Amino acid sequence: MREEAWYKMLIISCAIHILILAAFSIPFKKSSKRFDALSSYSVNLVGQLGGGGGSTGAAKAEKSLPEAKPAPAAPARVKRPAPVKKPAKEEVSLSKKKVAAKEKTTKEELSRLEERIRDMKKRADYLDVSKTKTAGTGGKGGAGAGAGAPGLPFGSEGGGKPLDPATQKYILDIWDKVKSAWGVPGMTYKKDLETIVIIKIRKDGRIVDINVEKRSGNRIYDESILRVLRAVDPLPPIPASLNTDSIELGFRFLPGDFS
Amino acid sequence: MGLSSLNSYSGGLFSLIYSAGPVAKAVMLILLIFSIISWTIMFVKFRQYGRTEKEGERFFHAAREADSFKKLITIYRESPDNSFYRLILACYKEITKRQKENNPDIKPETIPIIENAMRITISEESTRLERRLSFLATTANASPFIGLFGTVWGIMDSFREIGVRGTTSLAVVAPGISEALIATAMGLAAAIPAVLAYNYFSGRLKRIMSRMENASLYLINLIGK
Repeated sequence: MREEAWYKMLIISCAIHILILAAFSIPFKKSSKRFDALSSYSVNLVGQLGGGGGSTGAAKAEKSLPEAKPAPAAPARVKRPAPVKKPAKEEVSLSKKKVAAKEKTTKEELSRLEERIRDMKKRADYLDVSKTKTAGTGGKGGAGAGAGAPGLPFGSEGGGKPLDPATQKYILDIWDKVKSAWGVPGMTYKKDLETIVIIKIRKDGRIVDINVEKRSGNRIYDESILRVLRAVDPLPPIPASLNTDSIELGFRFLPGDFS
Repeated sequence: MGLSSLNSYSGGLFSLIYSAGPVAKAVMLILLIFSIISWTIMFVKFRQYGRTEKEGERFFHAAREADSFKKLITIYRESPDNSFYRLILACYKEITKRQKENNPDIKPETIPIIENAMRITISEESTRLERRLSFLATTANASPFIGLFGTVWGIMDSFREIGVRGTTSLAVVAPGISEALIATAMGLAAAIPAVLAYNYFSGRLKRIMSRMENASLYLINLIGK
């Protein structure tokens, strides 16, 4: 065969390959979220808030945390897990009364607990919480708005009334569970993203509604959050002491939370 | 926004290839080159075989009409570049050589010599037509393995990554494996057409060769006339 025929055929062959590759990339765009999430090697960063005895998964995660997370890795929040070790202490830490009770034991413990309370307050910046009872239909909208306001520390129920310790504890439990299941997608790890999601939990712990209040603009990041919310779906049931049929919680997901 | 929302995603094959590891990328590049070359060969062979078959048709058509060897040669002078012409030419050269040795008539004992000359020509033509067809067989056999190598390497890498990161959730495991599997997919995509083409061209080549042998017998008969 003559040389020019080979060149011609080679060019035709290259063109066909390019066309096939282009044709393959078009349907992929529509159908598969999987392919986008591919590069997201997520990290399972276990419970930082130390909600205590709420969920078994969270409790397990807490135990493994102090070893799993070495100090030099994270600048600001590494010290946090230290007081999380014993669930008994955490319960105490949630209310100041109980902290006072523990005060009798040792001063050392007290200082640790205080540190933990400070820590919790700091972390509360990342957590928007609002509570509502489903009995009143009108209340829902107001609660949603309250949850949507970013930066609100948890404990603002519509008008800014602080939440009672039991609710706080429950919310921390849930946040813990969500966080322990959530792996920040690798590629979004260092980006400045913020997603606010409002979930509605039924009395038995099932998530009945998920609302993305604010999208981060990064689909992979948003999807990872929705996926984790789907994964943790049966959350611990709402404690009877809260006396409510359903609860609406707003979570703010920041990748920096895990760095 | 409900549970099932946020399902539409951008990105595609290119991002998938882009996000793959260096070994997988190298494997994919090799496979792409294999595929391009094998497709080039397919096109070239398709044209070449088509042309040769057409010439064969023309030869038999002309041979049926021509009542002598010389007449056949005059028909063929117009298109010199093909296998059947070369066959006739070999035959003709042999005859003229004999005739120059002061033998205007072809003796029966010269027939085997002419036959041999034509046999050599057929063999050469066969080699020429067969050339580079073996690359298709190589692509068909090797590219799935090359792809598999990329996949195995990718999976090894992704498992190591999982070990480092410390999570085993499907969301973490699946992407790496999916990324790795594209190498196998590309290997198969290169191999399957190559297998089909190789079998197809082998069959066609066999037909062409049998036609050429028939043509040589035809020529011997014509010489006798």
